[in-house]
Amino acid sequence: MADRSEFESIALEHLETVYRAAVALCGNRQDAEDLVQATFVKALERFDLFEAGTNCKAWLLQILRNTWIDRLRRQKFTEQALPIAEELIAEAPHRDETVWSNAQDLLENFSDQQVIKALSQLPDEQRLTLFLIDVEQFSQEQVAEITDVAVGTVKSRTSRARTALKKKLISYAKQMRLMGGEK
Amino acid sequence: MNHLTDEQFEDIMQGEVSPPAHLNRCKDCREHLVEKQAMAEKLRLAFRSVQADTALADRIRRQLNLTATVPQIAEHAERPWMHRLHRRLWSGLAAAAVLLAVLIPIGLYLTTASNASAAQAELVKIHQRNLKPHSEFYNSTDPEKLAEYFKNKLGFTPAFPCIGQGMSIRGCCVAHFRSRIVGSYVVDTPQGVISVIIVTDTPQSIGMTRMSEQTDHGHTFWSGSFARCNMVTVRLGDYSYCAVGEVPHEILAQLLSRLLP
Repeated sequence: MADRSEFESIALEHLETVYRAAVALCGNRQDAEDLVQATFVKALERFDLFEAGTNCKAWLLQILRNTWIDRLRRQKFTEQALPIAEELIAEAPHRDETVWSNAQDLLENFSDQQVIKALSQLPDEQRLTLFLIDVEQFSQEQVAEITDVAVGTVKSRTSRARTALKKKLISYAKQMRLMGGEK
Repeated sequence: MNHLTDEQFEDIMQGEVSPPAHLNRCKDCREHLVEKQAMAEKLRLAFRSVQADTALADRIRRQLNLTATVPQIAEHAERPWMHRLHRRLWSGLAAAAVLLAVLIPIGLYLTTASNASAAQAELVKIHQRNLKPHSEFYNSTDPEKLAEYFKNKLGFTPAFPCIGQGMSIRGCCVAHFRSRIVGSYVVDTPQGVISVIIVTDTPQSIGMTRMSEQTDHGHTFWSGSFARCNMVTVRLGDYSYCAVGEVPHEILAQLLSRLLP
């Protein structure tokens, strides 16, 4: 039996984390708020299934991810989220990349909004994985559980996400004339 | 010299493994690691500025309050005499029957409340979809053509509001609501865009709360909110007309009052 007051005290505590993850997925606040609200409604419905003492934050993020995927499917945007399509993206070996010799200095030029926007343009599972690893600092095992994949997939997905994010930021840097013809 | 693999970089960044000796020898790999760490830190810091609006927490609490009577009922169920009854449960069938009599309605209530929340979320999704151009949206401002469209798609013609005073119909669409096909049309108003979604469900069954006493015409307005959208519903004949939009309830009610005969 779902106890609403218990749910509020245990689950709502993680509102900020769930909201940030929703922003990472949706790329805008309005859709993120909608997704968060739907997530908490679903979480209450399933609160009976939550095992006390386990990681509530990870449980909520799992529901958030599933809700997000349901929405994508309903909106017929699944092609953006298919793991197979993601796996097929050619990944250039990191040896071929140009390393930013002054990564920290260069990154200083980007606003928070630009970084979040760049993240929001990554494939769905990549951006959620990178968000969970870098921002929420979950372990690879926890992310594997949340995103329902193997740990090896989390590693490769994180790595691909980093490469993709870097490409986006390089493109911004060129637009801002912070970089010349660097790759 | 074999450089570090992507997987090794990820393990190092996670603190899973100690940096291998290779890093001391390879400037290239060191620079890659520094770059990855700098990007991870930048990303982490970028999200520090992302904070949920306090109104969001309030909205969620309000939404969860649809089940607000549950704790009260639960509290009632856990009064001392109930505790004693619970302890003696094993000894008597009568006690079990009492408990079931309490629990089953609560379960039914919870299910109904959750379904109501999901219904409101669906209404908002239909409205949001109406705002974006898509191939299934029928663009027409002509009420006769819209009526014909609905007649063909749904088998009936819904009521349309008296247009004027800055209001105009943009077009209409059919959508799925609770796995059934329903109709909706979009009205541009000076205050914002409003979708009117016509469903067979009663306002109560989709979690709306009474907004007003009966009007002169004998109608009652019902209201709800989900995400940033407000909703007002009125029952006309066999259908509930749900006005949804990011405008105050009063504006939605005003629009719906133009539907009334």
